[in-house]
Amino acid sequence: MLSEIYDGQTLPPVIRGITQEKINLYAEASGDFNPIHIDESFAAKTPLGGTIAHGMLILAYVSEVMAQSFGLDWASGGRLSVRFKGPARPGDTVTVGGKIDSTERKGGILYANCSLECCNQKGEVVVVGGAVVKLPRQKEIVHA
Amino acid sequence: MSSKGKDGVSVGYEELVPGYEFPSASYELSTPLISKYVEAVGGSADKFVPPLAIAACAMTAMSGSLSLPPGVIHASQEFEFFKLVPVGATVNCRSRVARKLTRSRMHILVLELSVFDEHDEMVQSGKATLVLPVQEADA
Repeated sequence: MLSEIYDGQTLPPVIRGITQEKINLYAEASGDFNPIHIDESFAAKTPLGGTIAHGMLILAYVSEVMAQSFGLDWASGGRLSVRFKGPARPGDTVTVGGKIDSTERKGGILYANCSLECCNQKGEVVVVGGAVVKLPRQKEIVHA
Repeated sequence: MSSKGKDGVSVGYEELVPGYEFPSASYELSTPLISKYVEAVGGSADKFVPPLAIAACAMTAMSGSLSLPPGVIHASQEFEFFKLVPVGATVNCRSRVARKLTRSRMHILVLELSVFDEHDEMVQSGKATLVLPVQEADA
């Protein structure tokens, strides 16, 4: 959990290696067996040229950044909006980073507006978006 | 995943129209299910279900009523989380077609999902935009 909340604050990143085994495991766990994720011969014939990770798997990493930073407030008062800009492929290492762009108080409750980005090891953007989290337990903005 | 739709009918892309409501589906967020999810994403969960695990289950529950061609791409996603859900809870997912359009050589489908707990209180909502390749016969 963050001990300080202030504009411009960087959120601790989450770094994950993508493997076909992890993609297959996610397919099993989620029940999403779209062949673009798990069937290498099918995926090779598509414009993507090979299997890609589930978008929801990458979003789990994005959500983890927010959960690590804001704890249970994320799961009980978070809002996420993202676009998938490019695929994450087996062999990639993705890094999800973010920062608090601004904080605001509405109705006596503090909100943190965050930007989020997931990039692969080449710096190519995989997911980009924003999140807002309601912080009812945060009484005041704490500056560094 | 323990899941059940109301009628078990699967609907194809051509039959979908904006406003179409999929059969609601209930599923138990059991300890084995959540453990498997957490293992797959490399995260952690103790008392409460990770919100993306609920979302993944909701989307899978919906896809059980939806027959789409292979190669569907997830283009964008929105979620709003309202309430913590304890591991072991049963939730109900309701989903509908918000938009359906064709651009160039792709179909775009926007689906809205809402997830409710046993008290019929909304725990999360979401909107998924899916891109489907246009089949040769459609082109």
